[in-house]
Amino acid sequence: MDAKFLNPFIQAAVEVLEAEVNANISRKEISMQKSSLTSDDITVLINLVGDIYGIVMYGMQTKTCLNIISKILGQDLAELDSLAQSGVAELGNVISGRATIRFSEAGYKSNISTPTVLKGKGVEVATLGFPRIVVPLETQFGLLTVHIGLKENKSGESGSADEFISLINGPVPQKGS
Amino acid sequence: MNVKFLNPFVSAAHEILSHEMRESIQRGDLHLENGSYQTDDVTVIISLVGAVDGTVFYSMSKEVAVGLASVLMGEKFASLDRLAQSGIAELGNVITGQASMKLAAAGFESNISTPSLIIGKGATISTLEFPRLIVPLTTSIGALTIHLALREGIQQNLKTPQLEIPKVDLKDK
Repeated sequence: MDAKFLNPFIQAAVEVLEAEVNANISRKEISMQKSSLTSDDITVLINLVGDIYGIVMYGMQTKTCLNIISKILGQDLAELDSLAQSGVAELGNVISGRATIRFSEAGYKSNISTPTVLKGKGVEVATLGFPRIVVPLETQFGLLTVHIGLKENKSGESGSADEFISLINGPVPQKGS
Repeated sequence: MNVKFLNPFVSAAHEILSHEMRESIQRGDLHLENGSYQTDDVTVIISLVGAVDGTVFYSMSKEVAVGLASVLMGEKFASLDRLAQSGIAELGNVITGQASMKLAAAGFESNISTPSLIIGKGATISTLEFPRLIVPLTTSIGALTIHLALREGIQQNLKTPQLEIPKVDLKDK
């Protein structure tokens, strides 16, 4: 796992949220998780295949999801119905798509899968051989957490966690306070 | 959901499971589902990207998962620990891989994603506008259900998203 996977996703999330909902984003402390993820109220799962592959997940509370999607659609959503789920899936889709464009500009060709929406807090999501970088993004609508479990499709490539952690303190964009 | 995608998955599951368990598996009645569904104890989720696009789910109870993992890995698991989980994920991976090879032979090339596992009954999974074809299978260990939410990919051999990511102009932003 490498900082080069992290920045495109963070930048993509920040850009899309700023453009779509005028979000003020503050990136909280990044961590690494190897064990299963415990799901939030709602999680969008998107797989990547290609030069960079694995899984990306976007998790948030119901209230946050409704706040964001209501703003995007321009109407008040009261519950996490299929319209809201379709909206949050599309948000994940647009952010992930934008990140893969960044990857391709850097020479890594990847494609994203269609999104799956998981609703239900406290469910375990095991990403098995893919440790995840967890990026909490605080916005005025609530907290959106991006979970990035990606690897480069290149034989002989490996990265230790220590190597990675020192890389993130460097080039990751700082937004807000 | 194009029914032509069904057979590669059913025959792949049959080939792999009957080989591992040395007895044939039974296929129950198919049906289509829309919208979302409630998860069983264990669900493997694998995506396809390419000429066939979408997601495949393999769902089962915890007992079946532990039983299958024990047979597949040749050791008796008492619970669905990390090793057993990887065994079930690998089962999904192998079936999907075999199915995608059959699909490729029929002219539908696709890449399959790595598997993830969702552990926990009663959560809701939505495949949005993709209907799911439900394929119930019975093995000597118990029931295993394949959910196919697949369609023909609209963009073939695509390396990057073709469409410009739109900036939405809201009337009251």
